[in-house]
Amino acid sequence: MPETGYLQTRQLPPHIRSTDSLAKRFWGQGIALLPIFIAACFTGHAGILRVLLICLVSVVSVEFLIAKLSGKKDNLHNGEAVLTAALFSLLVPSRCASEIIIFGVFIISIIRAMFGGTGTYPLQPLLLARAILQLSFSNKMGEPMLLAGEGSLWVLVSIGLGGVLLMSQKKGYWENPVFFIAVCAVFKILGGAYGITAAFLSSVLFTAFFLLADPVVLPLTRRGNIYFVLGAGILSSCLEAGGFSISAATCALLWMSLITPWLDVLIRPVTFKSIKPLKATHPR
Amino acid sequence: MLLPKRSPPGIRLERKKDASLLNWNLKRPYPPETIHITVPSKATPCVRTGDKVVTGQKIAVPQTQNESVAGEGVSIHAGITGTVERIAELPNALGGKSLMIEIRRPREPKPTPAWDLRKDWEQIPAEKLAGIFQESGLVTTDPQMEPVHLKLARHGGARTVIINLCDPEPYITCEQVLALSHPVEILRGAELLKKACGAEKIIFAIENCNGEMIELIKSKIYFLTWSHVEVRTVPALYPQGLETLLLQEWFPGEACSAVVFPASTAFTVYEAVALGKPFYERVVTVGGECVVEPRSLWLPLGISFQNAIQACKGVMREPRRVLMGGPMAGEAQASLDVPVTAATSAILALPKEIAKEVVAEPCIRCNLCVDHCPVSLSPAMITLAAETKEFSTAREWGASECIECGVCAYVCSSKRPMLELIRKVSSLKESEVLHA
Repeated sequence: MPETGYLQTRQLPPHIRSTDSLAKRFWGQGIALLPIFIAACFTGHAGILRVLLICLVSVVSVEFLIAKLSGKKDNLHNGEAVLTAALFSLLVPSRCASEIIIFGVFIISIIRAMFGGTGTYPLQPLLLARAILQLSFSNKMGEPMLLAGEGSLWVLVSIGLGGVLLMSQKKGYWENPVFFIAVCAVFKILGGAYGITAAFLSSVLFTAFFLLADPVVLPLTRRGNIYFVLGAGILSSCLEAGGFSISAATCALLWMSLITPWLDVLIRPVTFKSIKPLKATHPR
Repeated sequence: MLLPKRSPPGIRLERKKDASLLNWNLKRPYPPETIHITVPSKATPCVRTGDKVVTGQKIAVPQTQNESVAGEGVSIHAGITGTVERIAELPNALGGKSLMIEIRRPREPKPTPAWDLRKDWEQIPAEKLAGIFQESGLVTTDPQMEPVHLKLARHGGARTVIINLCDPEPYITCEQVLALSHPVEILRGAELLKKACGAEKIIFAIENCNGEMIELIKSKIYFLTWSHVEVRTVPALYPQGLETLLLQEWFPGEACSAVVFPASTAFTVYEAVALGKPFYERVVTVGGECVVEPRSLWLPLGISFQNAIQACKGVMREPRRVLMGGPMAGEAQASLDVPVTAATSAILALPKEIAKEVVAEPCIRCNLCVDHCPVSLSPAMITLAAETKEFSTAREWGASECIECGVCAYVCSSKRPMLELIRKVSSLKESEVLHA
């Protein structure tokens, strides 16, 4: 047998790994957004492509600059920055001024860099940036046009299709969108005054599938996720009495992200302490 | 509450057992030139350099043998006939060093002695069995390598003996091949274990994908007309089939009422009592994509990994990693001159496309590790605490209850070194945790 490099280092188990990766996850989520952009082009919301282009160019530039200045690896290779930019382009009005969009992307990148990069932030940078823009430019920032007004059936179908694509990747719990949609629908029916429109459904579906898909701010157990989603649904519905808006959902998700550490501590997996654990590996 | 019932914990891995099952008739290789038999800390060598020994001869005795009848150690026996070359501290497969006895065979190897069936072995009283187990050097053939007589004493009140026929890790077929070749011997060994601990029932745990084995064991039970023996299936998932999970699944809350032994241990028990054959060899799977003829075969304890691989016609390509045990919980080797022990279920030579090098990325709290943990821990929380040196928090989250199956690290999207961090927390002493 040839005596070469393979025997020089000692590696810890496991020696095989699943084929899953962060890049797969983020690019997969990005692909799930494609139907929405396609639907936007054919329903008179082509302006959203301008926003997307500005977001992508600015995120690449800002990430590149931050990586150069901090000497760390950029977030472009795994698709996280691109996904965030694409999501952000769907959260701002398509007639929004370019400088405001660039400022928003800058906030996202700065917040992420401040906390230490992927997986470290306590609040979703995307939502935080939107909330900051909402406060700073309240007259120019409104509901995204794709999800406002009367709404479009095609947009609704495209969001549903994107959601199905996302769920088929099995990267999250099915309970999250289902419970969120159910809570919002119940509050809407209880509110009674305005019927369920395509815009309402589009906003709820978009929030349920795409804004609740960032696991970094979600609790670490399935049960914890359910409480988070129920809380987010109730808060969103209460903040926008009798309806639903992306602005209200943004605030609700930010509020719920703040209590995630408590949910993590309070809702733990149930362990089997009655049995003395015997290691699968060799004792040392 | 809001959730449906949890499905059996574990992951479905590609089994990769077909290659070694093609050659499922068990063979003994040509005796190697030298073997290095590990002497456990609770035994003392009773031979000296230059002594001639024969196969099965006692070469180390338990340290407490003179003071108490059932001491903690077990006797150790020679795996080949030859001369004791040296007794020294030599590298073992766990990366440390152990006291070993090196035996060199003569130029022409002597034939292995025949072990004849004792006539009265079924009449041996239960109280004498523990002594026979200790004298024969019986230890469990799992990573714990616990002396059989001690494990029986520890589970004195057990009402059920579980014989584990599962090989949950990919590639490994040693238990399966042994059970296919010697089903009746394993059944009789299980009966002896039941007798030794005063249990009432025997359960055979077999993976549900292994229909042939289920039918074989059921048919042997039928012919022996044993009504106290039962066959139960476990899902073919990793790490289902591990002792902790079998007890957790079948005896929740009353773990002391059952004791689990691997099927190969039951076989060695039968050989020790019925044939008087001491424990000096075991069935090991030598496999992996790099081995020319992967198979399970009898190997004497103490044979080097190099010789074991050569017994399967060597490697056809350069492996990335050589492992003792399976790819999920096995140990990567820094040298092939380390010896086979009772815990060596497999020697695997894996190529670079299987044992890939991975680059760790930050945790994104995707919950995959929490959802897949078979003992319902929160590996993400433990490892995040360990990374920031908050060892007491990691302990609070149950780091010591981890069974180190490696499932969390396998499923991790970020390829984090989960097991390494959990082991780090578990290995720290209380004072070190407080100091940190």
